[in-house]
Amino acid sequence: MGSTQMCNLVLFLAILHSVLAVSLGEDKPAESYWLLRFKSGLVDPAGVLDNWSPRAHMCSWNGLTCSPDQTHVLGINLSSSELSGSISHELWHLTSLEILDLSSNSLTGSIPSELGKLQNLQMLLLYRNSLSGKIPEEIGLLKNLQVLRIGDNLLSGEITPSIGNLTQLRVLGLAYCQFNGSIPSGIGNLKHLVSLDLQNNSLDGHIPEEIHGCEELQNLAASNNKLEGDIPASMGMLRSLQILNLANNSLSGSIPVELGQISNLKYLSLLGNRLSGQIPSQLNQLVQLETLDLSVNNFSGAISLSNAQLKNLTTLVLSGNALTGNIPSNFCLSNSSKLQQLFLARNTLSGKFQLDLLNCRSLQQLDLSDNNFEGGLPSGLEKLEHLTDLQLNNNSFSGNLPSEIGNMSNLESLILFDNMITGRLPPEIGKLQRLSTIYLYDNQMSGGIPGELTNCTSLTKIDFFGNHFTGSIPETIGKLKNLNVLQLRQNELSGPIPPSLGYCKRLQIMALADNKISGTLPATFRFLTELNKITLYNNSFEGPLPASLFLLKNLNIINFSHNRFSGSISPLLGSNSLTALDLTNNSFSGPIPSALTQSRNLSRLRLAHNHLSGEIPSEFGALTKLNFFDLSFNNLTGEVPPQLSNCKKIQHFLLSNNQLAGTMPPWLGSLEELGELDFSFNKFHGNIPAELGNCSGLLKLSLHSNKLSGNIPQEIGNLTSLNVLTLQRNNLSGLIPSTIQECKKIFELRLSENFLTGSIPPELGKLTELQVILDLSENSLSGEIPSSLGNLIKLERLNVSLNHLQGEVPFSLTKLTSLHMLNLSNNDLQGQLPSTFSGFPLSSFLGNEKLCGPPLVSCLESAGQDNKGLSNTAVVGIIVAIVFTSTLICLVMLYMIVRIWYNWRKVSISSTGGGGAEQRREEEKWEYGEKEKRRNGEYWKVNSMALAPSQDKQNPSTCIFHFKMDAEITGNTLV
Amino acid sequence: MAHLYLLSVFLSLLLSISPSLSSNSEGNALHALRSRLVDPTNALQSWDPALVNPCTWFHVVCDSNSHVTRLDLGNSNISGTLGPELGQLKHLKYLELYRNDIGGKIPKELGNLKNLVSMDMYGNKFEGEIPKSFAKLKSLIFLRLNNNKLSGSIPRELTTLKELKVFDVSNNDLCGTIPVDGPFSSFPMESFVNNRLNGPELKGLVPYDFGC
Repeated sequence: MGSTQMCNLVLFLAILHSVLAVSLGEDKPAESYWLLRFKSGLVDPAGVLDNWSPRAHMCSWNGLTCSPDQTHVLGINLSSSELSGSISHELWHLTSLEILDLSSNSLTGSIPSELGKLQNLQMLLLYRNSLSGKIPEEIGLLKNLQVLRIGDNLLSGEITPSIGNLTQLRVLGLAYCQFNGSIPSGIGNLKHLVSLDLQNNSLDGHIPEEIHGCEELQNLAASNNKLEGDIPASMGMLRSLQILNLANNSLSGSIPVELGQISNLKYLSLLGNRLSGQIPSQLNQLVQLETLDLSVNNFSGAISLSNAQLKNLTTLVLSGNALTGNIPSNFCLSNSSKLQQLFLARNTLSGKFQLDLLNCRSLQQLDLSDNNFEGGLPSGLEKLEHLTDLQLNNNSFSGNLPSEIGNMSNLESLILFDNMITGRLPPEIGKLQRLSTIYLYDNQMSGGIPGELTNCTSLTKIDFFGNHFTGSIPETIGKLKNLNVLQLRQNELSGPIPPSLGYCKRLQIMALADNKISGTLPATFRFLTELNKITLYNNSFEGPLPASLFLLKNLNIINFSHNRFSGSISPLLGSNSLTALDLTNNSFSGPIPSALTQSRNLSRLRLAHNHLSGEIPSEFGALTKLNFFDLSFNNLTGEVPPQLSNCKKIQHFLLSNNQLAGTMPPWLGSLEELGELDFSFNKFHGNIPAELGNCSGLLKLSLHSNKLSGNIPQEIGNLTSLNVLTLQRNNLSGLIPSTIQECKKIFELRLSENFLTGSIPPELGKLTELQVILDLSENSLSGEIPSSLGNLIKLERLNVSLNHLQGEVPFSLTKLTSLHMLNLSNNDLQGQLPSTFSGFPLSSFLGNEKLCGPPLVSCLESAGQDNKGLSNTAVVGIIVAIVFTSTLICLVMLYMIVRIWYNWRKVSISSTGGGGAEQRREEEKWEYGEKEKRRNGEYWKVNSMALAPSQDKQNPSTCIFHFKMDAEITGNTLV
Repeated sequence: MAHLYLLSVFLSLLLSISPSLSSNSEGNALHALRSRLVDPTNALQSWDPALVNPCTWFHVVCDSNSHVTRLDLGNSNISGTLGPELGQLKHLKYLELYRNDIGGKIPKELGNLKNLVSMDMYGNKFEGEIPKSFAKLKSLIFLRLNNNKLSGSIPRELTTLKELKVFDVSNNDLCGTIPVDGPFSSFPMESFVNNRLNGPELKGLVPYDFGC
């Protein structure tokens, strides 16, 4: 009894040990002990390991498989158990373990190198966890391992070369990790490998030549790595291979013809590499091939593949290469083709639509976009009765859309944009009950939009932009209940919008801009509650907006510009998520509603060219995202509300042509983004605030035609980006600040019609980009014209007229070679004009008493004018003499012309037998000959070359030529 | 699996063909130009291709029909190259790209700018030849290409530009002789200095590209 008691005690101690820490140094604890140690390292929120307890026999624990004698664990399967924590380093004590499956959990930490001691392990499945670190080299000791799947983890480093020792391995899964380095060449030792998955790592280097040793390999996937170099020809020896996926690497060179020997291949993808050369026709030997994707490489030459040989092919993708020529004839055999997808987009294929494609009867998707195909679309297209997607955009297809397209009853998307298709949209289109997307934009189609189109009730997107469709939008458009996008911009549509459009309740984008659509907006638009963007600009819409538009709460973008809408803009303000509102150039009236400010994200507000009145609402200060703010050309009154100083994002601030008054607010200087400020044609008074100089990004500053007074601030020189400065027609006084020389990018400067005094600062000569105009006219400027203005060599117009400028016109102004308008008139200039100015009109210089030289009177005359003036009678006498003489000369010449014409008529009549057209041609030559004779002597040398051919042609008509000569001689003698 | 993958690729391709909501050829041309340029000071920040037209972009001026007539990018710290798409701005009158760091060849497509009055590309790093296609710029009055790295001879075709008043190619690497016909009879010698040019053309005696 004592011994049994003793035994019980030992057992109790063992269990106690398994619960507490091990420090007693027992040689061989039971496997359950190590399993509980394993459990203690895991976090088990789902309670999968709840029954792993010393109270129960371990073989009853979840996820375990035991040996028949219940002493050893053979398998652990805890896949998809929501476990986290790390894998115990002590698992190796489970020496009989054959299967360890911890896949699809959230385990972290590294793969314990001690696992290499599990000599009986056949399957190690750790995929889809968050394990990190390297693959332990010891993994290579698992001589019996058949399946190793550790992908979809955070593992990194090189793939240990010891993996080549796992000669029993059938499945190796290392995809979706961060492995780098190259594929170990020892991989070729794995004679029994069936599946090798290396996708989505950072592996580089070459594919090892030795891979051909994997004789049983059926699936090789190494896509999305950085593999480079050639595809080894030895891969042709992988006769069992069914799937080869090397997509998205950096492989180069050409496809080895040996790949044509992989007779079992069903799937081949080389997409997204740098492969080049011709596609080898040997690939046609791959009769089992179902999917072939060679897209996005640099393959060139003609398409050498044939569906007639690749009988099992269902998908062929050759898009994004440099393939030329047409699709080969007999590409498909009509009765046997299984080809469902043919993608040839983005090549340089050319020629007409290959009619033999119509034999690919199983085709579901055909993409020939972005090529150079031309000619008409074949009428037999409907033979492709299974076709769901037809994509022919960005080619040069021409001619009509064949009406037979209506028989392609499975068609879901018809993408034909950017071609040269003409003619009408056939009414048969209405038979396409499954049609969801129709893109015909950028073609030359014309005629009306057939009402039958509205029978295509599956339509979600219509885009006819940039055609010549005429007539009105079909009355029945409301039948398109699924329509999201209606894009009809830039056509020639007219008539009113049919009210039924309001029943397309799913509509999100409506673009009818750039047409000739007229009438008012139908009240049914209130049902378009999902409408997000509506653009109606450049049409002939009119009348007030229906008040019920206020129900459209989802509007983001509204552009009704360039129409004749009238009344209040309030109906458009129901949405509080407007980002852009453009009503430019309509007849909207009334005040600007402060409700606009509910759209706090409004960035573009353009209300210019309307009849809006009242004040600018002070609530606009809440529009802090405002970027483009244009209220110009209205009847707004009052002052600029100070709250607008909160709108710090304003780049375009345009208030011109209103009745706004008050002073220019100094806070304008705090708008750091300001690029364009136009307050012109208002009633602003007071000074130009010096703070404006802080707007260093300002490109255009237009304050002209106001009542601004005081000096032009020195700070103007801080506007170093300024291109255009227009301050004309104000009451500005004082000097032109010399700091203006810092505005180095200015190309247009207008300061005219003010009360500026002092002299023209010579520093203006530093503004060498001045081009459009420098206008200082109608001021009180005095002193001399600075010679530095001669540096403005790009200047095209210079106006300093109506000032008090004195002295001579500086000779340096002759350097202004770009000048084509010059006005120095009405000053006190004196002396001789530079001779190069003689080309300018008199008016450029008038009103300068002491100025002389062409085009004014010559300086000699003007000098003697005081004492040698002609009397009035002398002037009259000279004029009479001139008139008389010139009348005489005219009469003589008239007589000569009549004589010449008379003689010439005689000649013409005498030779009418030659035929009318020919006759006329001879006449032309004759006149030419005459001119030539008159010019003889003067210009002969210059013109001799040019006239030589026409002289030659005159040879057959010497007779007429002689007559002509006679006529002239007669004429001469008569004089 | 493979089929599903392909289908999803196809579908995503379909989705990527968004409706042509922003199609405007001049705006697209300018936006293509922007993509070729390096713009460290964000001069082109306002060039938003989603807008109806480029007329509210800074440095762009339009006429009343919303056609681009001026492009003012002088002194803008931009580098990069020009592309053929600039030739699509058919209504452009002023092309001002002076004093930047733009390099590469001058695209021959600029010859399509029939309405161009002024082309100011001085002070850049343009290289290659002056395009012969400039002979099509029948409205051109001002052509300033000085201070670049242009080479080759001055195309004789330019002598047909009747309106040309200002022509400056000084400080380049041009060779051959200087034309004397047409507007070239009146250009000052300063327009040609600092090149490898061999003086005025001597018709019939020396080929115009002598020494090139």
